[in-house]
Amino acid sequence: MSDAREFKIPIGPQHPALKEPTSFTVTLSGEKILQVGVRLGYNHRGIEKACENRSFIQSLYLIERVCGICSHSHSSCFVQAVEEIAGLQPPPRAVYIRTIVAELERIHSHLLWLGVAGHEVGFDTLLMYTWRDREIVMDLLAALTGNRVNYGMNTFGGVRRDISPEQKADILKAMDALEERTKYYISIATEETTLIKRLSGVGMLSHPDAIRLGAVGPTARASNVPRDIRKDDPYAAYDQVPFEVITNDHNDVYGRTLVRVGELMQSYKMIRHLLNNLPDGPIAVKAPRKMPAGEALSRYEAPRGENVHYVRANGSEKPERVKVRAPTLANVQAVAHMLKDRYLADLPIVVAAIDPCFSCTDRLIALSQGQSSQPGVITWAQLHDYSIQWHRKQGIDFGQLNKSFTCGELT
Amino acid sequence: MGLLQKAVQWSRIKSPWILHFNTGACNACDIEIIAALTPQYDLERFGVLLKGTPRHADVLLCSGPVTRQIKDRLLRIYEQMAEPKFVVAIGTCACSGGVFKGCYNVLAGIDSVLPVSVYVPGCPANPTAILDGVVKLLGSLESTE
Amino acid sequence: MSEEQTIQSELLGKFPCLQDKVRLQRARRVFAEAPSAQIGKVFDFAVRDMGFSILCAITGLDLGGELGVIYHLARDSGVVLNLTTAVSRDCPRLQSVVSYFPAAEIYERELIDLLGFEVQGLGPGPRYPLPDDWPAGQYPLRKDWQAPAEASLPQESEEKDV
Repeated sequence: MSDAREFKIPIGPQHPALKEPTSFTVTLSGEKILQVGVRLGYNHRGIEKACENRSFIQSLYLIERVCGICSHSHSSCFVQAVEEIAGLQPPPRAVYIRTIVAELERIHSHLLWLGVAGHEVGFDTLLMYTWRDREIVMDLLAALTGNRVNYGMNTFGGVRRDISPEQKADILKAMDALEERTKYYISIATEETTLIKRLSGVGMLSHPDAIRLGAVGPTARASNVPRDIRKDDPYAAYDQVPFEVITNDHNDVYGRTLVRVGELMQSYKMIRHLLNNLPDGPIAVKAPRKMPAGEALSRYEAPRGENVHYVRANGSEKPERVKVRAPTLANVQAVAHMLKDRYLADLPIVVAAIDPCFSCTDRLIALSQGQSSQPGVITWAQLHDYSIQWHRKQGIDFGQLNKSFTCGELT
Repeated sequence: MGLLQKAVQWSRIKSPWILHFNTGACNACDIEIIAALTPQYDLERFGVLLKGTPRHADVLLCSGPVTRQIKDRLLRIYEQMAEPKFVVAIGTCACSGGVFKGCYNVLAGIDSVLPVSVYVPGCPANPTAILDGVVKLLGSLESTE
Repeated sequence: MSEEQTIQSELLGKFPCLQDKVRLQRARRVFAEAPSAQIGKVFDFAVRDMGFSILCAITGLDLGGELGVIYHLARDSGVVLNLTTAVSRDCPRLQSVVSYFPAAEIYERELIDLLGFEVQGLGPGPRYPLPDDWPAGQYPLRKDWQAPAEASLPQESEEKDV
């Protein structure tokens, strides 16, 4: 490794008898990746089994916490399945409110991602700006639902809280503000040559590979796979809201960035439409405690991609089976493929670009030179620093931007 | 307490370095921890710096209910921190296991593995609560002088 | 004829063993139950001839006497075909579908870890999702398995303030 002089891979400290699990096993030839093995399971909490011993409502609280960033996605996907089994039809107003919260979640998630992506390439100013904007959405969600995260908005048969006229006015005002800010991020993404250079040609996933490997969400859409559950298999109010599915054919991390900022702009329009056409009426129908025997397969377009829940009920008050397939699991194979024949220094942003719903930051990475050598371990933080240093040597330095990163007063 | 120890203690109170570790959480608390470091809440004005390595950290901010896979890594990280060191459990899962208590792959809270100095409940813990927890820890350090 | 009805008649036309086993639950949702000896052929037909090019997930479940598996297949029109089969509990053997869908590997590893299925044609690889030191022969999603800590949790009726 030509840069190995500056960058040491510490081996240990580890008790020889204790093997620490590593989430990525990277086989290198010099600085280039031959192969990546991904090892998951750190977040495995046994939620599916736990649901079998809890009531449907208790299971709902668990399911909301599969992922804190897209909690409403999991909650809604689960609720949809149970409502189908029980033959419950939530009132139109409830369906619209569910959709509004869903799009607000998409906005907070994509802004979060923009910040994290910025951080991974050493563009911390972007992190601070996007996360400050994101606070506008967090405040809206807290006012609407009572919590910044894990909204608890859904119940079987509808939603638990209504939107007041004042809240509607606040949301509309916020959409205007965020739209302006996002136009600015789009200009950064399309004009800041440092960022374009850093993200282009990285994490390549061809169109056929995206399909073959089952990629979902923005990752797939940036490889021109126009799949979006909101259009393909509509749920909630999506068959009543005009919107575009954002795709491009960049096939790389840059393309995934463009998809997400494009989706932000769509979400602002969708929320306006939903609020301006919000049906009157109740926000929930009564749900039974025991669900009739039956099964349902529910799909939902979470910010990261297709979320799938399968639920089986047996006539009792506890689910017979709950199966959750979060979108990140569908994209993991694609990540291993994207990293082959690429530089180690690209690993952080390529992994971040699928917007993984597992906490990367503390994972250990095993590196070995060639198949036969002993792997050493490094932390994500060390790899992050290595990546930024490596790219700085290639002339990528976010301390020197071509476009001035000031954008006037934030609301 | 000797003069050198007092100086070290003083500098720790003035500028604790923190390490954030997720033991199997849903990420909600983790993003609120990061939010606590962004301008709206700005944990850094208390001199708190987020560090990437246990060797430089005084305070371990832990989220999550501790899955079986992650337990050894958590112990290892704690061992690598130099004394004096403190653990803050962020979020209800870290405090007690939360909704995951009883699940087969989960140990139920950070204090099933490590000594915890401060518990910050919430699902997730609000950034202002996280600030409050860290400030309370600093306050308790001051009072041991 | 609706798309779902077309799917039903195509399946029944090709596989008489599916008689009375293909159910149209709602728009874009078809459920079909195939005997384990036929599931490979039905799966192949659905993927190669009927255009079900998306594998959403694979669900394993404990049916009591047998272990069940459901392949959730979708196509671009948004229709999902849920293909179920059951295998014996003592010899729960499946053929891997990774040759159709590489991404199936991780779903099949879950079937092995959590329910004790044997999946033939799946090469070596890391287990998922259980840790390396998980005791052998313990399959958490089987109905006769209980987490030790669960037994001590208060049941809903015992809770005072909920």
